[in-house]
Amino acid sequence: MFKKADNNALWAIGISLVLFFIGGILTTVVPPLVDTSWGKPFENHDPAKGITGKVVPLNDLQKKGRAIYVREGCWYCHTQQIRTLLADTKRYGWRGVDAPISTPDEFVYDDPHMFGTKRTGPDLARIGGKYDTQWHKTHFKNPRDLVKGSIMPPFPWIANDPAELSALIAYMQNLGRGKDWRPANDYEK
Amino acid sequence: MQAQFSKAEGGVVPAGSLVHDDATAKWFLVSSVTYFFIVGIIAVIIAAKFVWPDLMGTMSWLTYGRLRPLHVNGMLFGWLLAADMGLAYYIIPRLCGVKLWSEKLGVATAALWNVIILGAVVTLLAGQNQGWEYAELPWYLDILVVVAWIMFGLNILMTVASRKHQAMYVTIWYTMGCVLWTAFVYLTGNFATLFTTGTNQANLNWMYVHNAVGLIFTPIGLGVAYYFIPRASNTPLYSHKLSMVGFWSLAFVYVWTGAHHMIHGPISQWLQTIAIAFSLMLLIPVWAVVYNLFATMKGQWHQLRESVPLKFLMSGIVFYLLTCFQGPMHSLRTVNAIVSKTDWIPGHAHMAVLGCFSFLAIAGTYFTVPKLWGKPLFSESLANWSYWMLMIGGLGFFTTLWLGGFWQGWQWNNWSIPFIDTVIALKPIWIVRFVSGILMFVGIVMFAYNILATVMGANEEAAA
Repeated sequence: MFKKADNNALWAIGISLVLFFIGGILTTVVPPLVDTSWGKPFENHDPAKGITGKVVPLNDLQKKGRAIYVREGCWYCHTQQIRTLLADTKRYGWRGVDAPISTPDEFVYDDPHMFGTKRTGPDLARIGGKYDTQWHKTHFKNPRDLVKGSIMPPFPWIANDPAELSALIAYMQNLGRGKDWRPANDYEK
Repeated sequence: MQAQFSKAEGGVVPAGSLVHDDATAKWFLVSSVTYFFIVGIIAVIIAAKFVWPDLMGTMSWLTYGRLRPLHVNGMLFGWLLAADMGLAYYIIPRLCGVKLWSEKLGVATAALWNVIILGAVVTLLAGQNQGWEYAELPWYLDILVVVAWIMFGLNILMTVASRKHQAMYVTIWYTMGCVLWTAFVYLTGNFATLFTTGTNQANLNWMYVHNAVGLIFTPIGLGVAYYFIPRASNTPLYSHKLSMVGFWSLAFVYVWTGAHHMIHGPISQWLQTIAIAFSLMLLIPVWAVVYNLFATMKGQWHQLRESVPLKFLMSGIVFYLLTCFQGPMHSLRTVNAIVSKTDWIPGHAHMAVLGCFSFLAIAGTYFTVPKLWGKPLFSESLANWSYWMLMIGGLGFFTTLWLGGFWQGWQWNNWSIPFIDTVIALKPIWIVRFVSGILMFVGIVMFAYNILATVMGANEEAAA
């Protein structure tokens, strides 16, 4: 079979594509058909079944904020995924409560997805409600005013534009809130 | 076999030999070398921003988040892929014993490619980012990329179809594989993603990101290595059979591994396990290629002392082996829990794209440019210096990021250490990375200057 590909270009092309498409289709088209949680938004109202909450689409202000997050490339340095590791659930927990693990059904409305690959800064999957709005405003202007040693860039063109700033903060304060993980709703505003 | 020459080598061509026009190869090589230098400046600025985060921080279009995609896209598509395409336009007609199918179409492809790269610079600095890694370019540029790729593919495939020699050398398979696989991988990463969201979209995105390296840069890069190592050392390839094992196992195994970018993440465990299993199988095509090329050099290693292209080629193959050993190891769940998301990963990625594939493309450029323009290289000793600068800078860059990344990973796994302390701890690592980056940039400047001075005939002016 492969010997023939030495002399026959069409044959070589045919085998290359067949071999490629076996793995290609099995790993891209098939998985969402098998694992339906990839396409069904998270919803649970029964505390007996675990954490409660509901993932809903973003409102217009949050959408605008998300577009800024994409535009400025925040996602190059911040991931949005609590992995199945204690290193994540403990570190990104808050006031003694572990952060819930991120599941595919929390991201059904995410487009483009913002999972990220690199943590030059901390993960933001559960950042919503951890810091108040004033903290974010100061932080975007110059991160080092609040966090000594931080290497996050300053974003004066956002900090000085009230419309952009409030949109971005509205997006961030909503992150990870589809799962209602805080006891007694103790989120910062 | 018929003797073959490039048009500019005039004067010494015996009657009846095949003379290649090579205009397309020339255009692609000159523009890619220029982008290598320009994007290199951006690379150094990014490295500096890790050390001085306020540097150029007040201008939106010079912020890290906008320069980084320009660095990645500029290096991948402006420099590396364009250089590899230029080399393919040189190699394929020679291996087929015919002229390029259409030199006009080739030059048009080169022009379109430059339009795409310039468009990328403007849109990325303006913050027009689609939000997918390696697929940041807006959709209208994506469509131009597809058009350019069809023009490139058509030219290569038609040249192969009109070949004089029935048997195809391994470089031809790899180049054809690159043409075909790239088409589907690129469509998946830039267009199929438009119809999906969330985890489903991320899975397609990482199928593209992983295979951009595995099924675009790997096949065309290895095709370049398989051509130039025997050429530059005047030694026949060790084993045809082994090159078959390497090629066909690559064709089957690579595409399965995209999900290993989300190990421990919000994606099905069984898909993670499949990606891990196939990542380990990648050791087969890698070992087949590396053994074959090393065995080719057996008894010929002394040639490295005299030949800059061979130095780059064989170092590139060593880096290929190391990168492709790291890759399968990272995919193991236990190792992944330490190195994933850390600075180890850019160390790994730079060894693949710079240490391996750029070294191979640089070697090809050094080898072909004097032939294409019919002039001796501007300076052999400058070429030698460019090798050592890139080698020392590269090693400094890779090793400090591995050490730093591993250290960072261990710290993250101890959640009593505040995150900011793990940032502060890495400061020395980023200083060394910046200094290594400058060394690499000096190497790039030496390479680009040497090539462009050769092209512009600085040698002849000096002699006159």
